[in-house]
Amino acid sequence: MRGHASLLGAYVERRSILHAVPLWAKFLPVAVLSVAVLALSSLEATLAGLGLVVLAYLVGARLGLRELLQPLRKMWLLIVVLGAFQWFSAGLLPAFLVVGNIVTCVLAALLITLTTESQRILDGLVSLARPLRPLGADPERFGLTVALMLRSIPYLVGSAEDSRDAARARGLERNPRALILPVFIGAVAYAQQTGDALAARGLAEADHDGGTPGGASRSGS
Amino acid sequence: MIQFSEAAVQADHPAPRTILAPLNLTLAESRISIIGANGSGKSTLLKLINSLVLPTSGQVTVDGLDTARKGAAVRQSVAFMFTDPLSQLVMPTGREDVELSLRRRYRDRGERRTAAVEVLGRFGLAHLADQSVYDLSGGERQLLALATVLACDPKVLVADEPTTLLDLRNSERVRRLFRGLDQQVIFTTHSLDFALQAERTLVVDSGRVIFDGVPADAVAAYRDLSLHDASAEGPL
Repeated sequence: MRGHASLLGAYVERRSILHAVPLWAKFLPVAVLSVAVLALSSLEATLAGLGLVVLAYLVGARLGLRELLQPLRKMWLLIVVLGAFQWFSAGLLPAFLVVGNIVTCVLAALLITLTTESQRILDGLVSLARPLRPLGADPERFGLTVALMLRSIPYLVGSAEDSRDAARARGLERNPRALILPVFIGAVAYAQQTGDALAARGLAEADHDGGTPGGASRSGS
Repeated sequence: MIQFSEAAVQADHPAPRTILAPLNLTLAESRISIIGANGSGKSTLLKLINSLVLPTSGQVTVDGLDTARKGAAVRQSVAFMFTDPLSQLVMPTGREDVELSLRRRYRDRGERRTAAVEVLGRFGLAHLADQSVYDLSGGERQLLALATVLACDPKVLVADEPTTLLDLRNSERVRRLFRGLDQQVIFTTHSLDFALQAERTLVVDSGRVIFDGVPADAVAAYRDLSLHDASAEGPL
């Protein structure tokens, strides 16, 4: 599946400041920047936000234009439709602000996954959930769930691309059922498969027994 | 030791049907192969061993642990290898996937990383540690999948058609690796040569174990059955 090969936001190894700093030191500025551009909603804030993100990619993380533009290639249709609608309904400046802010937030968020190995993200998420342990939360399970959710995004993007190609090959590119149904079925199968894979390795389950594991089923296949 | 006591699997949907008829077995040999046609129940039989599938009646135990009640404990000692390695590799790179397997054993990230690289080295995969799992060849992926499940030092390895998607060279690599393992290995296969490498072979047909014994005899019985079925179906 094509989406597999083009892991959206997958870790890219470089020797850079952003690769070296701890997860929280990336997460906090990204959160602050995203909230700031959305809250201020001004031309200056959006331009400054975009500029900062581009600088962070090229200088802070020593990534190339390829990594910077890849997410834009994936979301160009959304950007065009949203921009056109905003331009038509509210004018050029609001359209630029909406599109610019979305691009800034997406690029900033992807910078975290591009510069942080999934195991470090997993460790960070586990640490984040640890204070909730007295309330019955399982930090390992929480971390793994979020990490797997992030990993499933490129899979679903790839699955949608494959469905589109398959529909086109059969002359069904305008048939919503041929486009959506395979993605839906594929997503359910993927979730089941991932659950089985984790259960088979004894991951994502409590250390003690007492019930049916997440991936196990009562019926055969 | 693995024990099946009247263990059966029944499906209710879309219509009631028997996937595996009540089975009484003791699996103690070091290498056991399972052969049979597609859809015969081989994979279900395997999945019962590490409780990926639970019996709808009867019981399966591993070293005395009931898979239905002690599934998590059973899975700590029984590793499962899927036919398609991409079904079980859930992290972007091989090293990260092995690290995932080692999370319970090593809380410290540095130690975990060192241990993961050591495991990959044991399987001759150290040079591929940081490559995307999607950029690896089928054989490399299957070896990596094996490394990820053996990283936890299980007592038993259960493998569902581990060589089906591999070319001859990689298939031979996996077979050679299997031969050298200390673990008890139970595997399904469509390769009769591979099945012959075991000490004991089960033949499964329509949810029943129709032969259980010496591999050469089992393979002969399976050949007879397949030829008989094919001739009964007549020309296409």
